[in-house]
Amino acid sequence: MTRFAFDIPTVDAGDVILRAPRESDLDALAGFMASDRSHFVGGPATRPDCWGIIARILGHWALRGYGYWYIAEKDTDRPIGGCGFINREGWDEPELGWQVWDGAEGRGIAFAAATAARDHGARHFGLDGVISYIAPTNTRSIRLAERLGASFERAGELLGHQCHVYRHPKQGGA
Amino acid sequence: MAASNIPVLTTKRLVLRGPEPQDYPDFKATFSSYRSRFMGGPLNAYEAWMLYAAEIGHWQIRGYGMWMIHDRETDKTLGMAGGWFPAKWPEPEIAWIIWPDVAGHGYALEATHRVRRYLYDDLGWETAVSYIDPKNLDSIRLAERLGAKKDPEAASIDGSDAVYRHPAPAALRDSQLSHGIEMEIANYADPLFKPKGFAID
Repeated sequence: MTRFAFDIPTVDAGDVILRAPRESDLDALAGFMASDRSHFVGGPATRPDCWGIIARILGHWALRGYGYWYIAEKDTDRPIGGCGFINREGWDEPELGWQVWDGAEGRGIAFAAATAARDHGARHFGLDGVISYIAPTNTRSIRLAERLGASFERAGELLGHQCHVYRHPKQGGA
Repeated sequence: MAASNIPVLTTKRLVLRGPEPQDYPDFKATFSSYRSRFMGGPLNAYEAWMLYAAEIGHWQIRGYGMWMIHDRETDKTLGMAGGWFPAKWPEPEIAWIIWPDVAGHGYALEATHRVRRYLYDDLGWETAVSYIDPKNLDSIRLAERLGAKKDPEAASIDGSDAVYRHPAPAALRDSQLSHGIEMEIANYADPLFKPKGFAID
């Protein structure tokens, strides 16, 4: 069968890696997107919708040259979340986003993944000092943004939803 | 980051390539217009972008997808045609859309006939359907010109679409049906074209 590949790099992030999403991640993604916790990232979504999410993430890489990875455990390759850059039509500028799926929270995985992604973006994609859109009620993500050194820049709006824009520090030369 | 190994297909008037970033404005123009009403549109800018990303991601996941149809001379985009099988679909479909300002030149027929041959002969598809809105008379007519027939037994996507079953690969190999399609395409390319030795009715 014909296959084609965009160059989606795999990035080391300690206990986990950032890698391209694949169709076999569908069960794990659908589990998360069926839960209440997904409402900060556009959920809930059905399993067929989740297939579309994976397709759109892959297409984003082709359209922008950068994009969103899935976070996988190094030993098992089991996907446990997502992290990376999002810049769809309607975004003011490229955003660094993250999500950790059920059962994998509380282990510092989002911090490790976001740090690695941010560093990779600054080095390889020319994305330095990016923003994160965070729902004002998503206290957990706000705390993480602050731990990452990002600071509140302004109140904004994304796809009709109120959100806060956090600005990450420049990585260049650090 | 270009999707470089999507096969390039050519026909007399057309070249079919994978969807590329620079083609997006043309895609968006049609999918934000009334023209897309039978394909889930019209879409807003965000939805159009997300669908275009999905078109590309579909290639990565399935190994086939929708080609962008270009005019072979000018390279202008004219529409899309290809294999489409997102998660909700009961089985893989052959789909097409032509931008509204270039409709009526037989481009969909020419492109779809070519991609169907690729899906059958190169990828080994043994059957294919097209899911068509019953109000989309132009597409139903095209399905019929391609030899597809309504398949009342086949599962539809959500009950609101008609399922047209394409002729099997063997029925298209050097058959009267495929010769007829090719003659119709040739007639679009050259309206004065008259097949030699063919009964005039």
